Amino acid sequence: MPNPYSGGPDRSMIDLVGGDGGEINPAIYVDEDIYRRELEQVFGRSWLFLAHGSQIPETGDFVSTYMGEDPVLVVRQKDGSVVAFLNQCRHRGMRICRTDCGKARSFTCSYHGWAYDISGRLVHVPLEQEAYHGEIDKDAWGPVRVPRIASFRNLIFGCWDEAAPDLETYIGDAAWYMDVMFDRSGAGSELISGVHKWVIPCNWKLAAEQFASDMYHAPYSHLSAVLASLPDDASPADADWPQEGAQFRAPRFGHGTGFFASERGWEFNVNTMGRTIVDYLAGKYSDAAVQHLGELRGRQITGQHMTIFPNFSFLPGINALRVWHPRGPQEMEVWSMILVDSDAPDEVKAAYRDRITRMFGTSGIFEQDDGENWVEVQRVLRGHKTRQTSLNASMGKGHTEDRSEYPGIVSGMFSEEAARGFYQHWARMMAGQSWEELAQEPASACGKPDSGS
Amino acid sequence: MNNRIDVETAREVEEFLFDEAALLDDGHFDEWLALFAPDIRYFVPVRTTRSARERDKEFSGTAELAHFDDDYEGLKTRIRRLATGFAWAEDPPSRTRHFVSNIRLRALENDEFEVTSNTLVYRSRLERQVDMFSGKRVDRLRRSGGGGKFEIAARTVYLDHTLILTNSISIFF
Ligand code: FES
Ligand SMILES: [Fe+2]
Repeated sequence: MPNPYSGGPDRSMIDLVGGDGGEINPAIYVDEDIYRRELEQVFGRSWLFLAHGSQIPETGDFVSTYMGEDPVLVVRQKDGSVVAFLNQCRHRGMRICRTDCGKARSFTCSYHGWAYDISGRLVHVPLEQEAYHGEIDKDAWGPVRVPRIASFRNLIFGCWDEAAPDLETYIGDAAWYMDVMFDRSGAGSELISGVHKWVIPCNWKLAAEQFASDMYHAPYSHLSAVLASLPDDASPADADWPQEGAQFRAPRFGHGTGFFASERGWEFNVNTMGRTIVDYLAGKYSDAAVQHLGELRGRQITGQHMTIFPNFSFLPGINALRVWHPRGPQEMEVWSMILVDSDAPDEVKAAYRDRITRMFGTSGIFEQDDGENWVEVQRVLRGHKTRQTSLNASMGKGHTEDRSEYPGIVSGMFSEEAARGFYQHWARMMAGQSWEELAQEPASACGKPDSGS
Repeated sequence: MNNRIDVETAREVEEFLFDEAALLDDGHFDEWLALFAPDIRYFVPVRTTRSARERDKEFSGTAELAHFDDDYEGLKTRIRRLATGFAWAEDPPSRTRHFVSNIRLRALENDEFEVTSNTLVYRSRLERQVDMFSGKRVDRLRRSGGGGKFEIAARTVYLDHTLILTNSISIFF
């Protein structure tokens, strides 16, 4: 039987998301063939977040991470550049490095002892004369290099596809929104050392799409965390979710974000994030950010969620960031970190560490309830009928707004415009559209039906 | 300082830890919280897979990312959350069994004890979710009042996991 999900440009992929991303066939969360194709068409072609520069400050510093399911080593070079290569020995395919991070002078495969320098060049083969008769071409047998590495605001990305646009073009209008978090002070940012890593048995898209678009879940999913954080003398109205804000859908390439933009946003955040962080973002420490980014981005935008397609998400202001590593259609690994401005006062950095750890990450009181939802969505999809039951992503269709203060396609804060952008771009990549085609803004971004390609 | 622990003290400590575990397993979180001193630091560092040479860097330090790093207020917030009626990750609640063993004691100054134990926490959740957490717990216990009562002045839990194999740590160790 022909496989409907492989082969060239393919209308069926577009149909899986209802043409414009507004109606989702749950096969995209469970189907093995779709998943294998996703690794090839989405993860094999998109710019993927690899590491923050502050994780590998010195020569030989490395982190082990993944591009999709492909393990890669990301290593700082002597000249300050970053190299990434597959963590796979070219002799029999052993994992070259089995630790999460560290400082290396070289990498030696534990199987037969092939040794690579920190740029991934094969430099030593045991018994090279005796066993290979000096005939192995070491330059040809290093691990496969990630051909494209680029940084934006000290975020290091990698991409397998030579045809992909450069990183700046790929991020596009989303950069304006990212800078709320990554260029707040102009002094750069750094991670608080350490990564939370955990496993959620759900498809990675449930999480990535939510962070792109879904402010709608927060007032209800996260009500317990908001209520628990209220001081004893608070009134119930203090838990009311802010209503003013906006959502951004990238005109191309699937990114999205949403946020509060009001005074109420800050009052609301005091209970959960604490006075120190709120003073930093909106109060006595915030003048420099306003000077650097303007009043809107320097002080007003808060409660922000964001995804850079496909699987890099973060919460500007809250400063949690994470990668949703796919692990089969039914599972993902979450790698979560906390970022601070390099020039933030020590008490602010400490507050970020303490408060955000309690809110987000493995034990976070906000994070826990997200996981609960995604796990059950996924488990329900074990069924025969449930897998054929389409899901509604139509919120706010045809209701984009003219808001000249914001770049890109903008709608109300409670909308699924960015989710549709995410799924539509996903489907077009899955259909095998070229980067020239993908760079065209789809007709349906403004609510009209998409013709496919 | 005399470092020997008499049998009676050892028994009291063991009983205290077993009673504490029962409070967690039976869902008596307010009573559990009452066992902690106001100056509690409840700390669960992140563990990283490291080479043997870098083994001293396995656990995150006190200024690095942790699974938990709570003061009394932090723990109280977590427990208040459970009672809101909207704490979806714990409602329906996880069914836990805390096993505490290999207890070792060391007397400190001011009537405090360092108590090291192994902990194994079994969690069953909803229909078929099962999780196991294994770790070393290091507590600082302080005599409070009389009659074999203690309060927990500090707790550090060194988990044996690097990648946490579950969707959330919505329970306590
Ligand atoms: S597999 Fe790496 S040296 Fe043989
Ligand atoms: Fe959420």
